[in-house]
Amino acid sequence: MTDVIAQTARLTLMHPDATDWPGYQALITSPAAQYAGGQKPLSQAWHAFAGHLGHWTLRGFGLMSVRTRADNRSVGMVGAYYPEGWPEKELGWLLWPGETGQGFATEAALAARSWVYGTLGWDGAVSYIHPDNAASIAVAERLGCTRDAAGVLNFHCCADARWTACAQVVYALCAPRKARP
Amino acid sequence: MTPATTLTTDRLTLRLPQAADLPTYTAFCASDRSRFVMGPFDAVQAFNKLCAMVGHWTLRGFGRYVMDLGGRGIGHVGPLAMDARDLPEFTWTLWDPAAEGQGLATEAALAVKAHLFEDLGWTEMIIRIQPGNTASCRSAERIGAVLTDAEAPDWYPGALTYRLTAGGAA
Repeated sequence: MTDVIAQTARLTLMHPDATDWPGYQALITSPAAQYAGGQKPLSQAWHAFAGHLGHWTLRGFGLMSVRTRADNRSVGMVGAYYPEGWPEKELGWLLWPGETGQGFATEAALAARSWVYGTLGWDGAVSYIHPDNAASIAVAERLGCTRDAAGVLNFHCCADARWTACAQVVYALCAPRKARP
Repeated sequence: MTPATTLTTDRLTLRLPQAADLPTYTAFCASDRSRFVMGPFDAVQAFNKLCAMVGHWTLRGFGRYVMDLGGRGIGHVGPLAMDARDLPEFTWTLWDPAAEGQGLATEAALAVKAHLFEDLGWTEMIIRIQPGNTASCRSAERIGAVLTDAEAPDWYPGALTYRLTAGGAA
């Protein structure tokens, strides 16, 4: 398949498409979305998902679909995220509900990190993680990331139909840290 | 037949949104001119909205074209279906104030309408316009849309609803 970007022992990373929508929808419309920009109604979740696809066109990179090699099941998204308003380029990961606890995020994020530093040529990346998101912090630590206590992101999340800045998150710095302006 | 990703009119090329459109689109979103489409929106929102405009094409197979005048994006036009169960909404917006008053939105809308209805066999779309947006209301009438008494949706209070059908009859 031409859309394949990387493979790991259990996972294939590829360009996202409509296949990933049910999982994204399940995550973003659930309370678990508190760690991923906030729970949104369906129409806003769809808008956000379409935005992740379009991010590839506007930036030349984006979040990849994470599929199991065994049965080509979409389990989440991982990759390079740099929307307007982000202070630094991010290596991000999301797992759909029911796909956590199997090491998929760590396995996918390791491959994605090679991709951003190799193919994309990034010289540094951060991962913005909600301070209460212990599972995601554990992934960052398994990747060798260190927490940058000085870093905060005024995160835009949805309140009703309008966007407001309503949460702050800490960020972990993804090793290997090469340079940062 | 799937929707064309490029269409041509007398003065415009209608093409997919691209990264180079972001500055003009962002300026539009920040301006008072976006008040008819629930704006203003800041640069973060403008980026996300333009990204979603691109992703809509991937997910639905159709979407909004950018009106390209001489290599520069000046607006967008085309069908929008945030919810696949609803009738697509036909939309057009001129980003660049200098592009107003020349019939460009109408010219673009007529070309997309013709493609959807005549080439692809679509039969009906709705159009939602704020009543104060008289230029857009005129464009709706010029392309053959008919005003209905449908109520505005919660997310777009006060909007008029027009109906656009193949053949032009309501």
